[in-house]
Amino acid sequence: MKKVSQQVQKAVQTPTPNQQQKISRRQFFFLLIQTQIGVGVLSLPSDLHQVAKQDGWISLAIAGSLLPIILIVLYFIAKQFPNDDFYQINEKLFTRWGGVVFSILYIIYFCMVARLILLLFGRMISLWVLPNTPFWVLALCMVVVGLYMCNGGLLVIARFYTMVSILLIFLIVLMFLSFKEAHWMYLLPIGEVGIGKILQGSTEAFMSFLGFFLSLVVFSKVEGKPREKLKTILQAHLFTFSFYMLTLLISYSFFSTKELSLVTEPLLYMLKSFEMPFVARIDLFFISVWFVSVATSYTTYLYMASFGLQQIFRAKSIKLFTLIVSILIFSLSQFVGLDMERLEKYSTIVVYEGYALTFLMPFLLLVYVLIYKRIQQKKERST
Amino acid sequence: MGFMKRLFFGDHEKLKDRTIVDQAKEPEQPSSTKLADNVDYLTNEFNRTSDLRIRILEKGQAALMYLETLVDQEKLHEAIFSPIELGHVDDISKIPSSRVTKNLEEAIKALLKGHAIYIQDGSRHISQFNVTASFNRSTEEPQNEKIVRGSHDGFIENIMVNINLVRKRIENRDLTIKYFKVGKKTNNNMALLYLDGVTDPELVQEIEHRLKYISADMIHSPGYVEEFIEDQTFSPFPQMLNTERPDRVVANLIEGRVAIMNEGSPTTLIAPSTFFSFYQSSDDYNMRWFTGTFVRLIRLASFIIAVGMPAFYIAVVSFHFEVIPDELIMPVKQTINGIAYPPLIEALVMVVIIELIREAGIRLPQPIGQTIGIVGGLVIGDAVVKAGLVSNLMVIVVALTAIASFVVPSNEMSTTLRLLTFPLIFLAGTLGFIGITFGFMMILIHMTRLESFGVPYLSPVAPLRIKDLKDTFIRVPIYLMNERPKDSRAIQPGVVGPSREWKEVERSNNQQQPKQSIEEGKSTGSESGPNADS
Amino acid sequence: MTKRLLIILCALVLLTGCWDERQFKNVKLVLTMGFDEGEDGKIVETVSIPTINRASEGQSQERVQILSTEANTPLEARDFTDQSISESFDPGKLRVLVIGEELAKKNIYSVLDEFYRNPSNNLNAHLAIAKGKASEVLSYQNISDTRISEYISGLLEGAEASSHTTGENIQLICAELFEPGEDFSLPLLAVDEEKQSIKFSGMGLFHGNHYSGIDIPVGQATMYLLLQGYKGKSAHLTKKVSDKFEDERYNYVTVNVIKYKRKVDIKAEGDTVSTDINLKLRVRVVEYPADHLDKKSTIDELDKKLSETLTKDAEEIIGMMQEANSDIWGIGRQVRAYHPKVYEKLDWKETFPNMKITPKVDVEIVQHGIIY
Repeated sequence: MKKVSQQVQKAVQTPTPNQQQKISRRQFFFLLIQTQIGVGVLSLPSDLHQVAKQDGWISLAIAGSLLPIILIVLYFIAKQFPNDDFYQINEKLFTRWGGVVFSILYIIYFCMVARLILLLFGRMISLWVLPNTPFWVLALCMVVVGLYMCNGGLLVIARFYTMVSILLIFLIVLMFLSFKEAHWMYLLPIGEVGIGKILQGSTEAFMSFLGFFLSLVVFSKVEGKPREKLKTILQAHLFTFSFYMLTLLISYSFFSTKELSLVTEPLLYMLKSFEMPFVARIDLFFISVWFVSVATSYTTYLYMASFGLQQIFRAKSIKLFTLIVSILIFSLSQFVGLDMERLEKYSTIVVYEGYALTFLMPFLLLVYVLIYKRIQQKKERST
Repeated sequence: MGFMKRLFFGDHEKLKDRTIVDQAKEPEQPSSTKLADNVDYLTNEFNRTSDLRIRILEKGQAALMYLETLVDQEKLHEAIFSPIELGHVDDISKIPSSRVTKNLEEAIKALLKGHAIYIQDGSRHISQFNVTASFNRSTEEPQNEKIVRGSHDGFIENIMVNINLVRKRIENRDLTIKYFKVGKKTNNNMALLYLDGVTDPELVQEIEHRLKYISADMIHSPGYVEEFIEDQTFSPFPQMLNTERPDRVVANLIEGRVAIMNEGSPTTLIAPSTFFSFYQSSDDYNMRWFTGTFVRLIRLASFIIAVGMPAFYIAVVSFHFEVIPDELIMPVKQTINGIAYPPLIEALVMVVIIELIREAGIRLPQPIGQTIGIVGGLVIGDAVVKAGLVSNLMVIVVALTAIASFVVPSNEMSTTLRLLTFPLIFLAGTLGFIGITFGFMMILIHMTRLESFGVPYLSPVAPLRIKDLKDTFIRVPIYLMNERPKDSRAIQPGVVGPSREWKEVERSNNQQQPKQSIEEGKSTGSESGPNADS
Repeated sequence: MTKRLLIILCALVLLTGCWDERQFKNVKLVLTMGFDEGEDGKIVETVSIPTINRASEGQSQERVQILSTEANTPLEARDFTDQSISESFDPGKLRVLVIGEELAKKNIYSVLDEFYRNPSNNLNAHLAIAKGKASEVLSYQNISDTRISEYISGLLEGAEASSHTTGENIQLICAELFEPGEDFSLPLLAVDEEKQSIKFSGMGLFHGNHYSGIDIPVGQATMYLLLQGYKGKSAHLTKKVSDKFEDERYNYVTVNVIKYKRKVDIKAEGDTVSTDINLKLRVRVVEYPADHLDKKSTIDELDKKLSETLTKDAEEIIGMMQEANSDIWGIGRQVRAYHPKVYEKLDWKETFPNMKITPKVDVEIVQHGIIY
């Protein structure tokens, strides 16, 4: 009985405020993979094929094996500030206003990615399922889902992502349907296009991993030691990488090289031609499930942007900012709509920005952080 | 608004102070030594109500007062007059079973409870005798939660009997019961039941805290309490489990949850509850665990059928008929050709008809209710198809949906499911599959955001706790459910110890036995006989 | 505030909605389509449209309407057809696509492009070539099955099960249609006026995107499929194995292929490519009136005889393929995959008809039914 009463006291004393609760590493894992696997999956095989032909998978393999370097760089940055999130780190490094400027740079980038996701989603749905539905309706669906999920906070987002990850299994099972018709010969000859093209393809492949920057933003909000977190990050990367590889191999072995250059979404196209005894047209189911995947990546970017604003304004609640960002993204995306040419242009801009901010910047940031830390240590020593 | 502000932005200190002051300020009215004064005061307080009986005894020197509508005459005779007649005592005020007070306000409360009070002239003492009449129906199995195997008794309208049913099942000193008085005018009894040392004390505190805020003239059913204390009222999902089954309450108490009982209603509220607890039935634990799991899975599948089936059908026939397989395409086409209304309207008509039949069936007396079911189901269904208003397939779909929604063991959840069908029907009618996915996603996000007394509504799925899945999608053998689920916030994890050790013992015996039988010969040989083939 | 906004927005969407609605009940389903060569490079589209009248009780009535329209492109033809039927027609559940011989000889991609391009089309539809005109096949009034789509697709599925045709659909030929160094074949259908039926009459060999005009006859279709590495549920081969019996029927044996092993060996040296194909068949005798399968010698003899005959058949088939310049086995693609340098030097279109392909068929009788 005494033991119980002690427990009682303990329980009463420690309050459990929900907002500050950290996400578990498992949730972190799913957060990462759900952010990375999104709009890109459907067009990735054909995007790589445009550049590297049937050797696209080598490009992906190169990109996938090089990316951990950047992940480790991000880890080293985050490790220096175990209790700060990305935006707080910025302010520490570059003083308040410098940090704000730096953060805004990233917030704008996140908004742009969110907008791009919205546009690509709209285009895909319009192409495949609802050709006559106006873009704003589709965009609205996505924005509403993102808004509602984001308002629940990171914990709700993490829980939701973990739950819907079971759908990935569904997607994988659907993909395996094609195994009967796979011609592995189509992957041969290896290296036909030459090293140059393959490397060019791998720069393209890097883009499919873009969501990894999330690991830096929420690093401090994950429970566990930094090393364990790094392990989770790498595991998540491995999963995403294998998932992409699977989609790539399946679509490359199903379609012949010439044919693939005509097909923009090989996976859907492949599923379209299958029929199961109880349902036909599996692509429609696939795209419905894929909607969830897209919504999760969109929500992450929405969250990262609004979370940044919240940090800048030192606000208590994120709700106002999610609303502002959502309205912004929604209204800005209307200017592009389903116009293919402008969409292409816009996506190139976002891609370049992505290179600059998420591939190059971490290296510079790491150098700066290391110098900054040394100066700090010296300061401490001198005092 | 002020209240909301206080609720959201702290300031709990002030509120707590208020409640404490309220409790301390019990009204008091000291009794007088004059009998007439006391009687006058009481009759005036009761507004000279006709059922307040005053029996003048001992030649006007004393009075026995009681509300005759609340008092059992036989008990009254037994408690007060028999001791005197038998000569055990010579004065009513000296009967040992009485309780004595000097406060008239307390006497009023006692009268309202059905006690009789005895006042003597010249004394300030008021003796109270408990002679309450209670009229109880028997503890029959509740109509709305029938099971095949297991206990067949249910709660009734008397809270004492209900607690008795629980106490009998948990013979443990840790079972704690806290009474509350709610309803400013009705002054109902309410009881909070929990298992001390298992239930999270914070949870108990939280619920007590919320209960104290209730300020209403009447608490007439658990539905009232539920809406006063639940986390989110703007949600279609029930956040507290309603049950009339003692065994279900006991199981939940043991898991570390809290039960709230109300005087005058057999329904008990259980908090915190998760989505999956609405899909558990006492029956599951009485079946073989294979069948239990199977039934559980069917029930959970019924959630998807009940919510999504009509929407799916509408999306298929008005957006993506490509998904109908080749062999089915002509039969489907055949049934829906020449139906006047679009599928959306068709579905709405059918769903509304089903709801009408159901509602009519409940309200009417039983024999007629059944007739309504037959008339509605068979006659209308057939006629509506023949008239070409609704297609055959739509009737099948809607009927299946209705059946699926009735599978849920909880009535609350079943109504929720039927309600959720409508938004999905509309979404499917505008955006097809994309609309359905959107709708399901919104529902899921809503459920993920929902919390019931600090417990995520979708736990143990979101947040995922693989260990606790043992009693959600599947029902593992009881001896494997050795830990309490985390979603009950229990502070003591273990619930089942190693209960199948005997198997281990048996196995080790079997291994040793050959040696023994050689050594000991016949005596062990006969024992090892039945074990030989295992 | 946000909640109210959301509700208003949702209401707005729901009330103005239904942009893409295509009511299934208002659609004329086209399950069978046919294309023929018209005059001046035009195209003739033939569709059979079943119309069902809903009957509240008992059997519903079904009527079939067959329409032919001439236009410049398939889609234009569809628009024209739409003008002469009630409601609009939708090939979303197309089951059979028949292309006329003449048109197929020119180019079939012009017909198929529309199917590949629009997402609502069914890529799962059976594809067949009509001997003569596709419109004849479609307008054929048969007795047994009410719907021509059911009849033809049933016919083709049956042929597929008995290893007479590969189960080609619009999507599956796509790879071969585009890829150089790979070709395909399609089943042929012909109307048999005498017997009042549509008949499966072999496989038409394609080169690139057009029909070569050379067919594998029905009798050799099974062997042709086995050489291609394809076997349906059963694969019967009936061959003459002796001349000694007076009763002609005693000279034949029918075997069912249980298992087969196919090995293609491509040798590429310099700029010459040669191919050996080894086919090992493990068969069960299903009909052999001459009996005496209890003796090992008889079986060995039968094995030998069958191997010889079938090798000869294979040679014949290869001859036809080379004549049609139809690289069904994708030898070209394999050369490209495994010997890319050799492939670069070659013009495959020129190489294939003249290359050396040596078939070798090995038959082994492993079962003989429940009697000897």
